[in-house]
Amino acid sequence: MLDMDYSPLLLSLKVAAISTFVVFVAGVFIAYMLAKRDFFGKSIVEALFLLPLVLPPTVVGFGLLILFGKKGWIGSWLLEWFDFQIVFTWIGAVIASIVVSFPLMYQSAAAAFESLDERLSNAARTMGASEWRVFWFIVFPLAWPGLLAGLVLSFARGLGEFGATLMLAGYIPGRTDTIPMAIYFAVESGQMENATFWVVMISTFGFSLILWVNWWSKRNIRRFTKS
Amino acid sequence: MLHVEITKQLAHFEMNIHFEMRNEIIVLVGPSGSGKTTILDTIAGLAHPDHGLILSNECTFFTTGEKPMPARERKIGYLFQDYALFPHMTVEKNIWFGVRNSERNERHEMIRQLLEVLGIKHLLQKYPHQISGGEKQRVALARALSTQPSVLLLDEPLSALDKETRKQCQDELLRLHDMWKIPFIIVTHDHAEAERLGDRIIYLEQGQITDEKRKRSIVSTY
Amino acid sequence: MRRFLLSTLSILLTIFLIGCSNAKETDKTGTVDQEKSDVELVVSAAASLTDALVELKGPFEEAHKGITVIYNFGSSGKLATTIENGAPSDVFLSASSKDMNDMEDKELINSESRKDFAENALVLITQKDFDSAISSFEDLNTATLDHVAVGEPGSVPVGRYTKETFDSLDLWEPLQDKLVLSSDVRQVLTHVEMGNADYGVVYSSDAFVSNDVKVLAEAEADWHEPIVYPGAVIAESMHQEAAQQFLDYLTGDEGKETLQKFGFK
Repeated sequence: MLDMDYSPLLLSLKVAAISTFVVFVAGVFIAYMLAKRDFFGKSIVEALFLLPLVLPPTVVGFGLLILFGKKGWIGSWLLEWFDFQIVFTWIGAVIASIVVSFPLMYQSAAAAFESLDERLSNAARTMGASEWRVFWFIVFPLAWPGLLAGLVLSFARGLGEFGATLMLAGYIPGRTDTIPMAIYFAVESGQMENATFWVVMISTFGFSLILWVNWWSKRNIRRFTKS
Repeated sequence: MLHVEITKQLAHFEMNIHFEMRNEIIVLVGPSGSGKTTILDTIAGLAHPDHGLILSNECTFFTTGEKPMPARERKIGYLFQDYALFPHMTVEKNIWFGVRNSERNERHEMIRQLLEVLGIKHLLQKYPHQISGGEKQRVALARALSTQPSVLLLDEPLSALDKETRKQCQDELLRLHDMWKIPFIIVTHDHAEAERLGDRIIYLEQGQITDEKRKRSIVSTY
Repeated sequence: MRRFLLSTLSILLTIFLIGCSNAKETDKTGTVDQEKSDVELVVSAAASLTDALVELKGPFEEAHKGITVIYNFGSSGKLATTIENGAPSDVFLSASSKDMNDMEDKELINSESRKDFAENALVLITQKDFDSAISSFEDLNTATLDHVAVGEPGSVPVGRYTKETFDSLDLWEPLQDKLVLSSDVRQVLTHVEMGNADYGVVYSSDAFVSNDVKVLAEAEADWHEPIVYPGAVIAESMHQEAAQQFLDYLTGDEGKETLQKFGFK
């Protein structure tokens, strides 16, 4: 096998998994809260959420540096009070992933909640169900196919995130080198063997993941939809 | 006893409704868009009047200027148009959804009886998409009653059914009302059905009560 | 969900189509220009040359009527790759001999046109307001510093020179965990300017144009290969003559003066 360091694989999986978890919880929660309400400026808030989707990654990365850098608004505060540094650490990679994949999760979740039949939730309410119970037993399972799609998109986006991550987490081999960074620098320095290895690795992984999710969600949806 | 007094601005008119009922069956009849479903929704707590007073027995559901009682505390059985059965749950789970864990034992007998009366025992393990329209209607009815509501609201309960099934179900509704002895409010636009089911028939148009008929002169279920 | 996917797809498709039609248009204007003897000269240049070259554009075009200069800035390695893959280009201005050598070996440039037009030095920088405890490369100490931003040695020329320098000082290995490898000089500067990396290593010309960094030390010339900027005419260029004129201008008095103004030697 190639003489190379495998740490990017583990790091990428760790970063994507944690960021997906955060994005999923936050995306579902915020989308659900906003789906039920109509207020002045809602579309502005939504547009803000989707902004990272249209901004170039380096711009997002620069914005993150302004927020989380050592002298940044949040970064300096974290450093001062908790001696906790985000920039040039793998946590930085997680944050970059969160920011770029949140729009995908939010969009999927919002669409999933929007398409739900409000009467089902109302039926549950008249049967004495608390909002908590309505969410977990009615809304969540029925929106699950859409939420799952968002989850997979977010994970894939997190796994492939490069531009903003490079800015915030930097490229410190053995510490903050994710697969996309390994690929980028391998290509740039003409190490095509290394690059190919990682490309095959990440593609195979992403492809199997999507196949599995599709198969799994189809099997589950079939249980309660008209065949 | 149910007291309903509602003023609510709707898209094209202001709704003004006032009626009071005992443990009888009231049928609301009117063209679509006359505000029938809105009345049911305000009683159930899914929508709120601008002004008014809604009382059920000793409970104040709504009174002007105060925070309305949430839908989940009102103990209302609501049979939705098209039934709104939870598609991802079996019939059994649908019916038991409104029963708290602590009440499971005491409700068991009541629900068993309900299943028997409605003849849906054999459907318990099926999903809603696997059963017929008439069966869905009965399951929804069982589900609405499983919480032992103090009022039952039925929004076009029979409109999706064919003629034969519809007649059967009408009989069933009357029988259930005799057993349950709580206020039933049924929305329909079918006059024949209204005559057959209602102790009282309230005619609505543009959010106003235009007429009221009493079928049986003396109605007392006390 | 489905609707969302559909609309996303259609947006992507639109962007793609617009991209295609644009590409076609530039092709067309390219051929038209040739007939009219108006020349659009595409100069692919190392990003570190940006400011100097932008300043040179006006005077050059003034002196050579009929030639319009279009710059394509990027890292030398990346530019070499894109030219190799057929990206239209007339002049290649590299920040490293290595990339130019590769191009020459593959016969992608006119060997006789090749000429070193500038030199540069490697400097250790820090943020302007940072009260640095050190004043030389040798002082870099693993124990006290947090991060040093440098170019990625495999792909960024300044990174390669930095590695050579650190290697000659036996610093590369011990500093390994502290080195933030960047994809270009601009990133190194950003990290230092924003105070995220305590130190950075860039060309003196880069440090020269940034207002937010100060130079602590210059690397000695024998710590690394000489940093020269070779330029050459691309072999496949349709505008050989104009390309040569540009190179001559760059190595002439006006060119030299401007380059020096921006910190080159």
